[in-house]
Amino acid sequence: MEKYRDYTAVDFLNDESFLKWLTNPGQTENDFWHDFIQKHPYKKAEIKEATVVFKLFHSNEEKLDLNETYELWTRIQREAKVSTRTVFLKFMKYAAILLLVFLSGGVTYYFIQHSEKPYYFELAETVPPAGNEARIILADGSEVSLEKQISEISYSTNGRQLIVNNDTINQQSGTQKEQINKVIIPYGKKSMIVLSDGTKVWLNAGSQLIYPSVFVNKTRQVMLIGEAYFDVAKNPDKPFIVRASDIYVHVVGTRFDISAYPEDKVIQTVLEEGKVNLKYSGKGILKEEFVVEMVPNQKFELDISTGQAKSQMVDVSKYVSWKEGMLEFEKVDLIRALKQVERYYNIRIRLANPMIGLYKLSGKLDLKDEPEEVLNVIKLTVPIDWQKKSNGDFVILGK
Amino acid sequence: MHSVENKSDERLLWTRFLKGDNQVLSLIYLQHTNSLFDYGCRFTYDKDLVKDCIQEVFCSLMRTRHNLSETDNIRLYLLKSLKRKIISELKKHNSQTRILTDQDYPFDLHWSENMDEQLNDLDEEKRQLLTDAMQSLTERQKEAIYLRFNRGLEYEEISFLLNLNYQSSRALIHRAIEKLRQIIHVPNKKINQYLFCILHKRAEPVFEHEN
Repeated sequence: MEKYRDYTAVDFLNDESFLKWLTNPGQTENDFWHDFIQKHPYKKAEIKEATVVFKLFHSNEEKLDLNETYELWTRIQREAKVSTRTVFLKFMKYAAILLLVFLSGGVTYYFIQHSEKPYYFELAETVPPAGNEARIILADGSEVSLEKQISEISYSTNGRQLIVNNDTINQQSGTQKEQINKVIIPYGKKSMIVLSDGTKVWLNAGSQLIYPSVFVNKTRQVMLIGEAYFDVAKNPDKPFIVRASDIYVHVVGTRFDISAYPEDKVIQTVLEEGKVNLKYSGKGILKEEFVVEMVPNQKFELDISTGQAKSQMVDVSKYVSWKEGMLEFEKVDLIRALKQVERYYNIRIRLANPMIGLYKLSGKLDLKDEPEEVLNVIKLTVPIDWQKKSNGDFVILGK
Repeated sequence: MHSVENKSDERLLWTRFLKGDNQVLSLIYLQHTNSLFDYGCRFTYDKDLVKDCIQEVFCSLMRTRHNLSETDNIRLYLLKSLKRKIISELKKHNSQTRILTDQDYPFDLHWSENMDEQLNDLDEEKRQLLTDAMQSLTERQKEAIYLRFNRGLEYEEISFLLNLNYQSSRALIHRAIEKLRQIIHVPNKKINQYLFCILHKRAEPVFEHEN
């Protein structure tokens, strides 16, 4: 701090820490400079002057909205795929003569399909977010950590102000472009978000939601990885669209749950009330597209690896009880139920034998208890036992 | 409530990408796409061209992954690739009479819209002086200022993007700052006070301690 005592406005502008405070401040910079000004009030004039020059030189930024951001990413993915295929085809040209004798069409198909795999990825990453911290990333790239177990976030109607667990944060009101925000909830935590249009979103453990702070486009679009329950505010002029993996859910105003955890390989949508249109556009060589109109109490499941879809009528409350800290199952594979318990408590559960995972589980689990107690409840309904390892992992044994 | 430093996250992503993890590229893309788009739009009004070039930058990133190292600065690498790509595209399709070279290309720098509004309250003479000062900046000076004050880059990073040495890029910015300061310090104290006043109406976070 000493060296700054004789700084002029120009010196301040040449200082990396000072500049970082003006352009993209973190906690360190904020604390340091507020403290500095308080301790050295006579430096205020120089700092003010430096700020004036900074403001004159700082210009408005062009931004891509969510649609454009996504569209551009899709193009990059497509282009990457094409270029690997060209390399592959070039290779094939030389290899073809040799291989022709041996290869059946099926094997070639296998190769082409697998040559594409490395470049199959999603805009919203399928890896769990780095770090174990629940956080919200604002349009300017700054991050706010959400310290509570269950965080509440709500936006003002103009999107400029958001309240995070009773702290108010002001966002720069940008241009007419959408300002993209992102909430990341790691395993073991949850969050409730009220978007600027009044739509409520309950975000389950291990999930991410990407959305604009205010909806300025013709449709209200958000992107989801993981699981969320939506209570969409009615607005017939601006349909609400949730994109989860390859599924687009179009709604006007309704309540529904989507679960699209990358590790599950199954996207599941359950409609509680209203009407939604589900659009699926498959990738890869068997390009497939279809639209499903869902009715209340319907569950729609899509296996992403095979493209197989099934639908059935269900008791919706069982699928949305996680919001209230409960899990309800009706003839659910044990492996899927344990996956949910894992995410909720941020623990690892392994099976001693994969066959155990196929037991069907029915019943109610109160997640307010410790994971050990939850496993004991499960023990009562299916013939299993469990052990806790020294590294904190749980192992499920058959009986 | 506090914000989190994401430098280490950034490094982690880069390392994982270099090791062959394509999943993280989408995160790298999300982190940098807006900065890249804005930087690109400074060279041309053709937004579609900028998008095409960003696409190309990411595609070639996947192709040339093996030649990159862990110590590379992702952000700088992306900015530099994008600039090179856009300028070479502009050279190809240049229909204007002006000849573009690697060292001579236009760069757009204008102050923020709300700054314009605030300056409207200012007396004509002073505003003219500030506008003139902005317009008299050379294109390279504008780019250096942009990289410093919008992107928040360090002088060494700026030198790398402008193909200048450290001293020259520092001097470019220094001269521009001095010019503005001279105008701000025109003897008329009253105007001076007024200027500070209106410029600071929205200044945060420096002045929240004054209350």
